[in-house]
Amino acid sequence: MSEKKPKAIIGLEVHVQLNTNSKLFCSCPTDAEEPNTACCEICLGMPGSKPKLNEKALEFALRIALALNCKINREFFFSRKVYFYPDMAKNFQITQYEVPLAEKGFIELQSGRKISIRRVHIEEDPASLIHEANYSLIDYNRSGIPLVEIVTEPQLRSAAEAKEFLDSLIKILEYLEVFDSRRNTIKADVNISLEGSERVEIKNISGRKAIEAALEFEESRQRSLIAEGKKIERETRGFNAEKGITFTLREKEFEEDYGYIFEPDLTKFKIAKEFLEKVKREIPELHIAKAKRLQEEFSLPKNVAETLAGEKALAELFEFLTKKINPELAASFLTRELLAILNRDNLKLAELDLDAKEIAEMLVLLQENKITEKTAKEAMINYVHKKETPKKFIERNNLLIEFDTKEIEDIVDAVFAEHKKAVDDYKKGKKEAINFLVGQVMRIAKGKAEPRIVRKIIIKKLRGGKQ
Amino acid sequence: MVDVTKFVKKAKSNKINLKNFYKKLSKKLRKWNSEYRHLVLINEIDSVEFSLPNGNLYGVPLSVKDCICVKGMESRAGSAILHGYKPTFNATAVQNALNNGAVIIGKTSQDEFGFGTFNVNVGKGFEIPLNPHDKKRSCGGSSGGAAGLTALLAMNKIPHLAIAESTGGSIACPASFCGVAGFTPTYGLVSRYGLIDYANSLDKIGAIARTTIEAALLLENIAGFDEKDSTSVSVNLKLTKTDTNIENLTLGIVKDFFSEGIDREVADIVWRKIKELEAKGVELKEVSLPLNAKYGLATYYIVAMSEASTNLAKYCGIRYGAALKLEGNFDEYFSKVRSKFFGEEAKRRIILGTFARQHGFRDAYYIRALKLRSKLIKEFKKVFKSCDVVVHPTMPIIAPRFDEIEKLTPLQNYAMDLCTVPANLAGLPHLSVNAGFSRRMPVGIMFTADHFNEEKLVKIGINAEEPIGEKE
Repeated sequence: MSEKKPKAIIGLEVHVQLNTNSKLFCSCPTDAEEPNTACCEICLGMPGSKPKLNEKALEFALRIALALNCKINREFFFSRKVYFYPDMAKNFQITQYEVPLAEKGFIELQSGRKISIRRVHIEEDPASLIHEANYSLIDYNRSGIPLVEIVTEPQLRSAAEAKEFLDSLIKILEYLEVFDSRRNTIKADVNISLEGSERVEIKNISGRKAIEAALEFEESRQRSLIAEGKKIERETRGFNAEKGITFTLREKEFEEDYGYIFEPDLTKFKIAKEFLEKVKREIPELHIAKAKRLQEEFSLPKNVAETLAGEKALAELFEFLTKKINPELAASFLTRELLAILNRDNLKLAELDLDAKEIAEMLVLLQENKITEKTAKEAMINYVHKKETPKKFIERNNLLIEFDTKEIEDIVDAVFAEHKKAVDDYKKGKKEAINFLVGQVMRIAKGKAEPRIVRKIIIKKLRGGKQ
Repeated sequence: MVDVTKFVKKAKSNKINLKNFYKKLSKKLRKWNSEYRHLVLINEIDSVEFSLPNGNLYGVPLSVKDCICVKGMESRAGSAILHGYKPTFNATAVQNALNNGAVIIGKTSQDEFGFGTFNVNVGKGFEIPLNPHDKKRSCGGSSGGAAGLTALLAMNKIPHLAIAESTGGSIACPASFCGVAGFTPTYGLVSRYGLIDYANSLDKIGAIARTTIEAALLLENIAGFDEKDSTSVSVNLKLTKTDTNIENLTLGIVKDFFSEGIDREVADIVWRKIKELEAKGVELKEVSLPLNAKYGLATYYIVAMSEASTNLAKYCGIRYGAALKLEGNFDEYFSKVRSKFFGEEAKRRIILGTFARQHGFRDAYYIRALKLRSKLIKEFKKVFKSCDVVVHPTMPIIAPRFDEIEKLTPLQNYAMDLCTVPANLAGLPHLSVNAGFSRRMPVGIMFTADHFNEEKLVKIGINAEEPIGEKE
């Protein structure tokens, strides 16, 4: 098989819901749950109403554009994209057409390859449709939620690379605090083809997992067709998330005609230099730079640094802890214990309102061997779920280790004297005998010693005895 | 007592019993309306409650063009497709007038969504309003009901102000045909919040009244920056307190609008008025707007129809307005609703407007019209370097008879807006007042000033107008 596998060519159009408090063109809240409770004359498109731009949404969109290294069009305007659909309050969507908010940016992948961003623009979300057996319902709570559309050049070379791109994009959005992956949705239209074959578009895929699954499925579908010697048809497909497959929507791709005109209810906008500078200054260090820095500054393994940088709040907590705690201990506690606690219940550190000082204080105790690892873990679980500080938890349950090294050494000596056989067994190479000895010491210390320390002391003494 | 300012003073000092006044007015309006059909809705005013005497418009009967939202009051923009639509909010202009004590007497007739020059393109089920000077003739449009009612009430010595709206001449034209003052302000001076859109970049809420000063009074009380309308602006108006001295003003006579297609008698009456103004001290000057004369109408109709066709997309019989039994899929349902409830002219403008912004034609029509529009504005701006106000006949003819209108093709119909369209396209303030009579019908003279120079229009208007209802 000398034939080269054709590369995939993938371009993404990602639609991100912004995490603003109010909608793009009115002051309705964005977090209502009961259907049709967060709507007004504007987001319902009632005759006579007019849009008014939410400047927070503009600021959020600017953050994204700047973080994606885009050129900002300081003068921009909105357009009407006209099409009839039941989820459209006005049967036109206010979006940006000729001049987007920003263009010509990029995201750098791990490989160092830069994926070009063609444009970043702002638009309004339509209402949501709920399809029942023989009718549909419309919920206007979503009508007018701010969206940012991010369009890449077709430069992604595999579904895996697209996944990495999305992963990085979502981390950037979260770092910028403009997107909450549990509250806001992310959607995409994707173009995917194999070198030398026709292009397929997959429309309106909702959710990061689904986007990834659709790309994976479609890439392998196209590869199988090629392998079978068949041709790939130029078409528009949909994605069935339940079955995990793409399916034909329209066979012949046609140029949709939206009859764009300028949105005459909104004037031309001009972004003040000072405002742009302010937004620029407020862009935080992003995850890739942060991971690199943590790795170098604290001599962490690459994967640990990346895990820490995966969530901004986690990385910040880590850096705070390193003021008092050995970075290795801090990193291992956060990436092993804390993340396990959070992931189990799909929690976000940023939203828990935990006091970093309390955590630091507890880890100092661990570092000084005044509590066991088990205690630290339990105290943390308790802190996350019940909001009782670790300090109080340790006090309430009387978990402070009361034995110092000298006392433990005395107990070890006593245990050695009592259990000579076990000591001999160990020396003969029966390494598991140590567990018995540790258990005996712990029994006498009534659990208030750190098994890790006990084990260390026993080993030291056993080896010492050999010399 | 036809003078609004005097009426307000008397109402405030309790020399007029407003309750009785409105009880009587209610009866008269019902009687007259069955004859003239200026109002599409008459408000319940026989039992209106009055707040403490306050505001510059205290107690004044105010009519509102149907396309401007009044909270809880059916607002249909003259269209059957909005049957039953009761806005949940007041248009800002309406709210401002109410805050100043005005009393809404009803909603005035118009061409459906403002699509017309003679108020004959009324929505399905609506009646055509009749000119109080001659019932066989049109009130003009699209604010025909507003102008007709103003003239009728003036003839009957009843004070009245009308909130109207102009996109391409919809205030000036009916004012001219009915012999009243029609004042269209600079684009953005009055908030459009609550206006049911025709063409947003052209729409302006303005005033129709018996005299210039009364129209100015209404404008002053409804204008102002509104954060709900991004295109509104903040300007300090000094209209009613202006002096009437016109000696240092230069009047530019637009020669392009005195020639072809203008009725001889109309042109003569306007000329005579200009000469009178010269005698009162204005300096005369001949100016020309060749680009506006040549391209104004085409540019206007492309921009207006393009925007209108998007504005009308929302009417699909789902959340408000007329509805039918829910049948078929969405496309079938909304097509049925729109076919049934839109009038012919609305359909024509949707089709033409959709065409003009369609891929492949957009550059040749919509985009080109936008480019031309800025050229046309520049041409005006240049003229205002050499004069303060330009003048020409408002309409090329006196109010036509309905049987004459029937014979016009759509194109001849659109050509009637030749003189009013340029100022509207440029967003310039303009005023039409009665210059005299031809064949016993009023003839309007139109003045246009540079942006935000409304005060100059007031000065000139006061000197030029021949208001009806003055002589006993």
